[in-house]
Amino acid sequence: MNKDKTLHKDIRKDFPILSKKILKTKDLVYFDTAASAQKPQVVIDELNQFYKSHYSNVSRGVHTLSVESTLRYEDARKKVQNFINAKSENEIIFTKSATESINLVAQTFYDKYMSSGDEIILSLMEHHSNLIPWYFLRDKYGVVIKFANITESGEIDVNHFESLITPKTKIAALTHLSNVYGSKIDEKVSSICKRNNVAILLDGCQSAAHLKIDVQKLECDFFVFSGHKTYGPSGIGVLYGKENLLDEMPPYQGGGGMIGEVTTDKVSYAELPAKYEAGTPPIVEAHGLGIAIDYMKNIGIENIINHEEELTKYAYEKISELDFVKIYGDGDNRNSIISFNIENIHSHEVSSFLDVEGIAVRAGHHCCQPLMKHLGVNSTSRLSFGVYNTIEEVDIFINALIKCKEFFIK
Amino acid sequence: MNELLKELYQEIILDHGKEPRNFGECETHNKSAHGHNPLCGDKVSLTLFVDDDDIIKDIKFSGEGCAISVASASLMTEKLKGKKLSYAENMFKDFTDLVKGSEESLGTIDEDDSLYALKGVKDFPMRVKCATLAWHTFKNALKD
Repeated sequence: MNKDKTLHKDIRKDFPILSKKILKTKDLVYFDTAASAQKPQVVIDELNQFYKSHYSNVSRGVHTLSVESTLRYEDARKKVQNFINAKSENEIIFTKSATESINLVAQTFYDKYMSSGDEIILSLMEHHSNLIPWYFLRDKYGVVIKFANITESGEIDVNHFESLITPKTKIAALTHLSNVYGSKIDEKVSSICKRNNVAILLDGCQSAAHLKIDVQKLECDFFVFSGHKTYGPSGIGVLYGKENLLDEMPPYQGGGGMIGEVTTDKVSYAELPAKYEAGTPPIVEAHGLGIAIDYMKNIGIENIINHEEELTKYAYEKISELDFVKIYGDGDNRNSIISFNIENIHSHEVSSFLDVEGIAVRAGHHCCQPLMKHLGVNSTSRLSFGVYNTIEEVDIFINALIKCKEFFIK
Repeated sequence: MNELLKELYQEIILDHGKEPRNFGECETHNKSAHGHNPLCGDKVSLTLFVDDDDIIKDIKFSGEGCAISVASASLMTEKLKGKKLSYAENMFKDFTDLVKGSEESLGTIDEDDSLYALKGVKDFPMRVKCATLAWHTFKNALKD
């Protein structure tokens, strides 16, 4: 614990925004990393430096700046490959967001492997970004979407999931780590998919910066995450796909950079990964993500995980002691996220109250309206941790929560 | 306690938030609309009975939301019941100006006005939508 404290004291200095005062007086307690992580100085500096000294378009042209930009862009791809242990660089596609990554898979996977009447399995706790791209297929092509149930503890009901599989099931798209419960998916789900010849996409938006990711061990066919939730810039997302699938599926968008040869009659497509990267990609953002990955690796992914585990466990215990707070999901299998409600106080009130105390938490439906309906609530508050948070901040939060209850319920 | 919070959550707001007036559905109505804040999930349903002289004879709302959105809906129904539509439309503008902190609003909704209690919203820009949800729903109901 002491060792951890020294660790994060230094880490906090890396994030300039953490010295901001809220309403001019309150120290910022940033508990909204699940919505977006703050950026270390090194990432901010590198974005700046790229534009100042190296910037040009990539993979087009032979001049010095083009080479410098291309090297950095492709280097970022290698860093991502290594970060999630993909077999090949060709399996890493840069997109503008995790949302775009899922849309890409939904459309191109359907085009290659599915037809009307085929089935997709999602779960009730998916983020809208892992629902709507599939709803598009339902509306356009008449595919069938089935929803796996969620248990009391906030996990996919594995037996129910398995019971949904039929010979028509082609793909399951599920969150790797729930943005409401903080629960990690049961590894059995991947093996069940494999056994039944169902492809699986894991939405890694919440896991990429908080768990050790090994796409080969996860046995997933697709894995998506975003740069901005992993201490990198916004505007960059990642799609990992197994090379044979990406090879077989058709391109997503057409444009510059994704072609082999173009005549007035026809077009052939570029090899992977360029095939899926039409248009000028988020060049500097990809580099920024690469730097963010370096940053996490320098601290040590294990150290980050241990630190956040300790915070989560401490916060869960402390909040559990407050009899006026309901936490969604239970204490085991919980990673860096806690969603809760104070009895009879709407999450907006909680969030506004905490805000004037300097504490940033998310309030609302977390882009999970089907899950909110399942829970029978309109919204929840959510605290989520990053590498820079501290036990002291949790104590500040707990005190504020008690004050909040006293303010609204007299 | 923080002054901004005190300003935002005045007694009258907490009271109307907890025990909203005119909650439910009008027995007979000729105008209605559903309002929804997609960012947070708050919902309001509004029913109105407007007579031939454009007088709002009855107005009720239901739905779920935070104290600000429920109190605002409740205060709105109290304010508009028995009033002419033209009055209500002017009030819509004055109220939205008030919670957005526009200068010009200050003359029309004064301290004695119950709606003045929502003035504190202007210091919480993310909450403006909570306060105006019922009013926008009202505007939509008039198109019904």
